[in-house]
Amino acid sequence: MQTRFLPYLLTLPSLFLAAVVIFWPVWDLIQISTHDVSRFGQLREFSGLANFAALTADPDFIAALWRTGAWTVLVVGGALLVSIPVAMILNTDFYGRGLARVIIMLPWAVSLTMTAVVWRWALSGESGMLNSALIGLRLIDHNVQWLASAETAFPMQVLIGILVTVPFTTTIFLGGLSSIPDDLYEAAALEGATPLQQFREITFPLLKPFINIAIVLNTIYVFNSFPIIWVMTQGGPANSTDILVTHLYKLAFRIGKLGEASAVSLVMFAILLVFTMIYVRLAMREQRA
Amino acid sequence: MTNGLTTGKLKRTIIAWLLLAPLIVVTLFPFAVMFLTAVKPRTEVLTPTWWPSEFHWSNFSDMWVATGFGQALVNSLYVSVIATIGAILISVPAAYAMSRFRFAGYGAFRQFLLISQMISPIVLVLGLFRLMAAWGLVESTTALGFIYMAFNVAFTVWMLQSYFDTIPRDLEEAAWMEGAGRWLTLRKVFLPLCLPAIAVTAIFTFINAWNEFVVALTMLRSQESYTLPIQVFSLVAGRYTIEWHHVMAATLLATLPVAILFVWLQRYLVRGLALGAVK
Repeated sequence: MQTRFLPYLLTLPSLFLAAVVIFWPVWDLIQISTHDVSRFGQLREFSGLANFAALTADPDFIAALWRTGAWTVLVVGGALLVSIPVAMILNTDFYGRGLARVIIMLPWAVSLTMTAVVWRWALSGESGMLNSALIGLRLIDHNVQWLASAETAFPMQVLIGILVTVPFTTTIFLGGLSSIPDDLYEAAALEGATPLQQFREITFPLLKPFINIAIVLNTIYVFNSFPIIWVMTQGGPANSTDILVTHLYKLAFRIGKLGEASAVSLVMFAILLVFTMIYVRLAMREQRA
Repeated sequence: MTNGLTTGKLKRTIIAWLLLAPLIVVTLFPFAVMFLTAVKPRTEVLTPTWWPSEFHWSNFSDMWVATGFGQALVNSLYVSVIATIGAILISVPAAYAMSRFRFAGYGAFRQFLLISQMISPIVLVLGLFRLMAAWGLVESTTALGFIYMAFNVAFTVWMLQSYFDTIPRDLEEAAWMEGAGRWLTLRKVFLPLCLPAIAVTAIFTFINAWNEFVVALTMLRSQESYTLPIQVFSLVAGRYTIEWHHVMAATLLATLPVAILFVWLQRYLVRGLALGAVK
């Protein structure tokens, strides 16, 4: 009798705690988004989907939505393209491999806020050290105001996003590569396969499940990523680097449009659920294999 | 033959470092910027030179006083310790139950954990803020610690269960045979074996809480309650004159201890996540 209830008793506190910080806010967000709501959060009459309709008419939201798509695809794709070769190099045996690994993992160890603060300084127009380095290398001949316009600020943010995503992605691929037995390559080399053929026929197919998992997990993380853009430009200048999370934050805590902010939250929540379902599917397929 | 192997390795070494060089330069660049700015004399910070004329170590102590670094450090420690101890106390029993019992709702609970791991606080931050405001807990670092605890529980249960599953049941069963009860077995056999895993999981929870930005930014409104990320951000945001050498000194001090810890433990994280994914 005692043992029958024991597992429930043991899991209950964790379930309760997770439920309080997830279900309660979600329920609250549903309430706000379907009501007319004052700037200070008092709910007035039920308004159905009016807040969601207001979003679709808001050009800033639409722009942020598209930019979030671009941000996610570019960062996830870029990190993938960098991480596969990096993981393959780190998987070979060479002098100083441990050191190279530690250096490449470093950005993962630093909080995104701190990374973004440092880059904001490094990219500063007049005295930033990126400008002085690039001028010293004669790559540019005058200071570039990196963060003053979206044309330079957003690509920089994407590059920094890629840089901080590479360590995690590389780690996943290193795990995948270490599971490929060496004799496969030896056999292929004996058959006269070129390195490119070896990559196409052995490495890539065996790495594919890991690539899938990396894509889905990174998509979730990058889609949610707030500090890089908020610390560097706060979505500016003139909302031109806003993504959904920064747009949401402004709506909620700057402008005080709580109804629309809740609607954005729920839209993001729904998108995240879809990504998570894909992840669960992939993870389960892995399990069966 | 051995000779041929070593020259082969030497060649590989050169090629590998050459190929990795661009990434390594870009990775180390912000660290160089952070360190060199932090030790520059104040007058040289805004001049676009790389190397300081002298290393001004007193920047760190000046910064400590000028920015209220000590208070933010204490706040960060307080919040992260609450989150860590709480998350471990709550998730060890849960992970034990999931690893050692089969019960109805097991699969649903695991799915729930997985999904709640994916939900980032930013999506819920408005609801959380209203929840805290309703209870009068805005500004409370204790409440912030509890929020972090709750957001980390899914991760800690997941990590711990994947470790617990690797510990063979035979040991516990042997203890039961000897007549030890479940509780005694747990204390004397199971928990000592899990201690390293629990320690690693605790440290990762600590780092997560230490680095968190958006919830702290929303909940903490006055400087006395700022945690380190918010404190550093407040030195940069919305100011006309930014004392960059202070900002970089603060960033360096806030980052270094945790970064070293992380790099040292990073392989355990990967192993834990990998175990969780395979099981």
